[in-house]
Amino acid sequence: MSTEALTARGGDFFCRTPDRIFTAEDFRGDDALMVRTAEEFSRKEVLPIQERLDAQEEPLMRDLVRKAGELGFCGADTSEDYGGLGLPKNLAARMLEMLSLNASFSVTIGITSGISQVGLNLFGTPEQKAQYLPSLTSGEQIGAYALSEPNSGSDALSMTTRADEKGDKYILTGTKMWISNAKWADQFLVMAKVGGEKVSAFIVERDFPGVSVAREEHKMGLKGSSTARLVLENAEVPAANLLHEVGKGHQVAFNALNLGRFKLSSMSIGPAREALRVAADYAQDRRQFGVPISSFGLIEKKFADMAAWFYAAESMIYRCGADIDSAFSALGGTPDGNRLAAEEFAVECSACKVLSTELESLIVDEALQVYGGYGFTEEFPVARIYRDARISRIYEGTNEINRIFMADRHVRRAVEGKTSLSGRADSFISDLCNKAFTAFVETYGTDGFGKKVSQVHLGALSDLLALNYAEQSARLRASQTGGINESLAAHFTNWATGQAARAYQVAIGESVMLPEWARVDISDLARAVYDRRIPIVAH
Amino acid sequence: MRILVPVKRVVDPYAKVRPLSDGSGLDTTGVKFEINPFDEIAVEEAVRLREKQADIEIIVISIGTADCEEQLRKALAMGADRAILIETSHQFDSQGIAKELKACIEVEKPDIVLMGKQSTDFDCNQTAQMLAAKLDWPQACFASAVAINGSFVTVSRETDLGVETVEVPIPCVITTDLRLNEPRFVALPGIIKARSKPLDRVTPTATPAPLTRTLKIESPGARPPGKKVSSVEELVGELKNRGALPA
Ligand SMILES: Cc1cc2nc3c(=O)[nH]c(=O)nc-3n(C[C@H](O)[C@H](O)[C@H](O)COP(=O)(O)OP(=O)(O)OC[C@H]3O[C@@H](n4cnc5c(N)ncnc54)[C@H](O)[C@@H]3O)c2cc1C
Repeated sequence: MSTEALTARGGDFFCRTPDRIFTAEDFRGDDALMVRTAEEFSRKEVLPIQERLDAQEEPLMRDLVRKAGELGFCGADTSEDYGGLGLPKNLAARMLEMLSLNASFSVTIGITSGISQVGLNLFGTPEQKAQYLPSLTSGEQIGAYALSEPNSGSDALSMTTRADEKGDKYILTGTKMWISNAKWADQFLVMAKVGGEKVSAFIVERDFPGVSVAREEHKMGLKGSSTARLVLENAEVPAANLLHEVGKGHQVAFNALNLGRFKLSSMSIGPAREALRVAADYAQDRRQFGVPISSFGLIEKKFADMAAWFYAAESMIYRCGADIDSAFSALGGTPDGNRLAAEEFAVECSACKVLSTELESLIVDEALQVYGGYGFTEEFPVARIYRDARISRIYEGTNEINRIFMADRHVRRAVEGKTSLSGRADSFISDLCNKAFTAFVETYGTDGFGKKVSQVHLGALSDLLALNYAEQSARLRASQTGGINESLAAHFTNWATGQAARAYQVAIGESVMLPEWARVDISDLARAVYDRRIPIVAH
Repeated sequence: MRILVPVKRVVDPYAKVRPLSDGSGLDTTGVKFEINPFDEIAVEEAVRLREKQADIEIIVISIGTADCEEQLRKALAMGADRAILIETSHQFDSQGIAKELKACIEVEKPDIVLMGKQSTDFDCNQTAQMLAAKLDWPQACFASAVAINGSFVTVSRETDLGVETVEVPIPCVITTDLRLNEPRFVALPGIIKARSKPLDRVTPTATPAPLTRTLKIESPGARPPGKKVSSVEELVGELKNRGALPA
């Protein structure tokens, strides 16, 4: 399979304006019904027991996963051959967003339905898939993904967990740190170095000799989720449980991460959606100076901002997901094809991860501010949402690591002929983005771009890429759907323009003249949030 | 045995809606639509009855625009076997709906019509009763429990004085109350399976002019602010001032 079969390419946002993009409004009919089932599940089964989940009362989480599995949520985008439903990744991500109104449940289900299956889906043999996927897709078992170690986090390939071949087994020794779901997991996707050198992926069952799980970490948030060390002491793993090939574990790990970053983006806007909802209700109830605080201009502005941020994140995520799905239908099927498909939109996946998680932070922060002092207490749900949100910028590759990656990968893709650096700008932001890349490529060349350019500059270039992608996605979506969306997109463009100008200044060191500010009716946007017309859009 | 469940597409009961500025109706832009909650309970009950008695066929029917397919598909996903959409943009009142349902019932010949006691949009609570009268079938309304016993159906309803249980012969019309059951989540495999279930589109047999006409829809006026009083005397004085008590 060749990448010529692709209709949309990674990097398109930089060099062209697509005629149409997929938008959240395009989840219609059956898709919309599935998404609403997911939301209902969150509202009826998860949110009412948040406090008990945070106390890790057993067996609440396990039961939730099992129930979610019965409804089809644990294997939505895994093949029907292995108990999944074979649905598009984009739809699975949209459902995951709705299952993410509580972040602890989100990470639990996100990992067992996502990153713990992706490796098998992309690189597993039919036998491995048949053995390990059905119990995950049904929700009977819980999966985990074990890459990080105490001394190997961002620098993942410096791992020291080793695997040595012994007869028809591999003997694994090492400690995996921060393993989500560890307390409940029945199977782990573990990265280890064969002979201490060749990174390889293994499926490790909890009951294999030499496998144990340490005590729970004491975390600042996400308390209902399990995070603990996986300890491997001469753990005996059958040779048949080697996934893909010896020395190619990084492909498994990083492609699982590419898709994981896309899914994490959905998982990060679920809590933001809920924060907006509870804050909007609170603002209309709380009265000061004789009127509901929702009527104050500065409170209205918060809701207009939050709604616009949310809108942009949502716009980029579901555009990206549809493009990933189309890459998989054009290229997927074989391990090599799957790898190409998972890599095609790697820059977009990182852009979604970085920007969505940072917009999530801004949203939950403003939502808390709406509550005043009450937001700082545990009496109201927003404190939990705020604490839980903090991790999003850290895992699935920290936002710093993603920022170093994005600009470099974009240039490398251009060199490989997969995208173009001579773009046609369609907005002020994309113009800045183009100019900045042109200037840096002129100065440093494309060879070893990421090594030669300073991190501060790489970060600024990546910010421009992410803002370009988000702004274009929000703008195109609004022009396709019209109505209040046009104001939401315009409000986001105003904000993103300021951010982009700053990034450009950091990168190039020249001041920028800002374009005219779009006039947006802030009260109108706030009222739409109060009336639940956004972001809970009609399907 | 065959159960017919009429389902109505209504504005999400939790949505905030406003009247259109000319008072001719409601502004439904951007508002979600749902199966009328009482009808959803009726679908759930039909599915539960079939779980006890496998030979039951469940038909769901809706009267309205092509958009009603969304609600019919949900009912199919919940477990109904097939769906009928009487596709029309005509505005029917309860009488007209009852007539259309009767026409359909004469063709489909269900044993039981199981329907919501009212819809959350207009709260009429009369279509089932009208339908039973037109069919000359017995009716058992506001069910809090339903059981099929051979050629009879036993139906309970909660009243202020206690629970009343009646028995009606089949064929009959039954309406559901809120506490009859809690509808299940629609499982994703059910939604996928529903894609291949039949959905027939037909046109209405008649489009009678409604007997009642809506003149105007408006929001309730803003309530004047209340006032805190510090004693009973002051309260009585206030009430007298406002003419609520004789001076
Ligand atoms: C709740 C939770 C759940 C987790 N779940 C899992 C899981 O299920 N499986 C799993 O494998 N891991 C998991 N992790 C681990 C997570 O992925 C790591 O914490 C993350 O990759 C960062 O690694 P680190 O904590 O070692 O930070 P470090 O790598 O030590 O980074 C510290 C800081 O330095 C920055 N930094 C590091 N390298 C560079 C560089 N080259 N340039 C610039 N800045 C740099 C980082 O961005 C960060 O700000 C989880 C972590 C937590 C907290």
